[in-house]
Amino acid sequence: MTETAAAAFVRSRGKMESRYRRRVFSDLVVRVIGYAVFAFMIGLLLLIVGDVALRGLAGISFGMFVTVGNTSSGGLANAIAGTWELVGTGLVFALPVGVFGALYLSEYSTRNTGGVLRLFVDILTSIPSIVLGLFGYLVLVIELNMGYSLLAGGLTLGVMMIPYIMRISEISYSNVPREMREAAFALGANSMQLSFSLLLRQARTGIMTAVLLAVSIAAGETAQLMYTALFNNDYTSSLTHQPVAYLTYVIWYSLNQPTQYAHALAYSAALILVASIFFLLLLSKYVERGR
Amino acid sequence: MIDLAWNERKPLENLFFLFTLAMALVPFAIMVILFSFLIYNAIPSMRYSGFGFFTSYIWNPGMLYENPVLVHGVLAPYRSSFGMLGFFLGTMITTALALVIAFPVSIFLSLSLNLYTPQKLRKPFSVLVELFAGIPSVVYGLWGIIVLEPVLLHSIEPWMKANLSFLPGFSGEIFSGAGIIAAGLILGIMIIPIVTAVISESMASQPRELKEGVYALGGTRWEVGKSVLLRNTKRQIVGGTLLGTGRALGETMAVLMVSGAVVNVLPSGIFSLTNTMSAQIAAALDSAFIDATGMNISALVELGVILVIISLIANLAGRAIVGRAALRGYEHD
Repeated sequence: MTETAAAAFVRSRGKMESRYRRRVFSDLVVRVIGYAVFAFMIGLLLLIVGDVALRGLAGISFGMFVTVGNTSSGGLANAIAGTWELVGTGLVFALPVGVFGALYLSEYSTRNTGGVLRLFVDILTSIPSIVLGLFGYLVLVIELNMGYSLLAGGLTLGVMMIPYIMRISEISYSNVPREMREAAFALGANSMQLSFSLLLRQARTGIMTAVLLAVSIAAGETAQLMYTALFNNDYTSSLTHQPVAYLTYVIWYSLNQPTQYAHALAYSAALILVASIFFLLLLSKYVERGR
Repeated sequence: MIDLAWNERKPLENLFFLFTLAMALVPFAIMVILFSFLIYNAIPSMRYSGFGFFTSYIWNPGMLYENPVLVHGVLAPYRSSFGMLGFFLGTMITTALALVIAFPVSIFLSLSLNLYTPQKLRKPFSVLVELFAGIPSVVYGLWGIIVLEPVLLHSIEPWMKANLSFLPGFSGEIFSGAGIIAAGLILGIMIIPIVTAVISESMASQPRELKEGVYALGGTRWEVGKSVLLRNTKRQIVGGTLLGTGRALGETMAVLMVSGAVVNVLPSGIFSLTNTMSAQIAAALDSAFIDATGMNISALVELGVILVIISLIANLAGRAIVGRAALRGYEHD
């Protein structure tokens, strides 16, 4: 039996339609999975942040901000102060290294030297945080005899902050248009004037973004500090030979204590830390947008 | 791009040039110091344990109140023994589990960000992913202990044991909710932001014309995703996954808190308690300080050296594939 032209047309149309339906269906499947994964991630973020917020708010009190504590009793004032002291010390070390090192990479280095130096920045980012802590302990605490201290902990954090600042600064410098450099040279600027009046000025939002990012990440670190800053039941006023308290230690250590108050301390510390970090990250987004 | 020769610059300019050079050399100097100190401090352990460090899973600090013994020319505590096998397997298994979780999630997250999410919502959603990356490791650990572990212990793991026991490794005793599953899950959640960031950014940078071409031929969004986004970003997908692997390998605190941090145990199934190389360093270092021979510290340093080598391979390979441009601050653990 031979098929008429009309019948063949109808059949191929049916085939096309079923193929079309299959294509639309697979698109729908991917779309649904995509949305489901998205909803899952948002749900997870809300679950984690919500848990910290609810339990943190339930236990937190004003007294915690003004009294010192020892992870099982007292408050968090020493840990809050110590966290920012450590991050600040790290920044004092990492900021000039990052900002001026990036200036070399972007302005002076040749292809090869730049490539080699950048490789070491990449290697630096690849070192696990606990190994940086081990390094801080062996070199700073023991070899350079700083003891468990603000300087040892801060420098270890600084080592971790360098790559963030250096990489984003370098991108900011190289985004300065060639014409602006030429204009600066045409006005008789020397290389230093070019660097300070043009490049650093043009890159300042980029550097701000980098600093906020580096600070927000350093504030949440624990492993580098456990064996370089240790912990202190009081405020820290000396650069060396005096341990420092910090929030992440309280979260980790208080959780192992058997009392309800210690758990409240852990959650309050987590709440303060996460709120500060989110604030810094959103601020860095805001600064970046102003560019 | 400042290409004046040395003698064409004023002395002050040359001084400034040397200053920037010195600053650019700091990461190099830190790396030289770090590696030389780590390797120097690992030598006693290498001599004491030899190849057994890789094949044994017994980690015994020794009897610290006995007289130390002299082995292969180095002093070590009596009956001490150091083997990394348990921690190495723990690291590898939890990282693998993290990848199994993070890889599909990141792919679908990137696809839906680039194909289905309205333009207006893309920026807020990517900020959300970045906030995820900002949550500190200890907070993940805290959530893991307080929220995740009870759920795993009372609901998920018993269900898995009852219904999935035909799969290899899904048998054995359920302990406390801590262990391989908890550590793998937490690690997976932690590396999703970096893997997603790399994949999503490379998808977003695909040329408009390619996508429009597929649409013009009547392609659906998924066909654009399949034939343009996925096909052209294979390299970045591999690279992003490697960077995620690097982060998972070195992650310390969250794993220390939810893995069970056991020693002298090899994983016998997916419900086993476990431990990783990084978590072991963090957990054992303070008791290692009381060892007067220093062998305990040396053994932990050797563990650190091996961890660094493994994580360097993953990170540098990932970075070489992805290129530097796609990275902006997600990569550190």
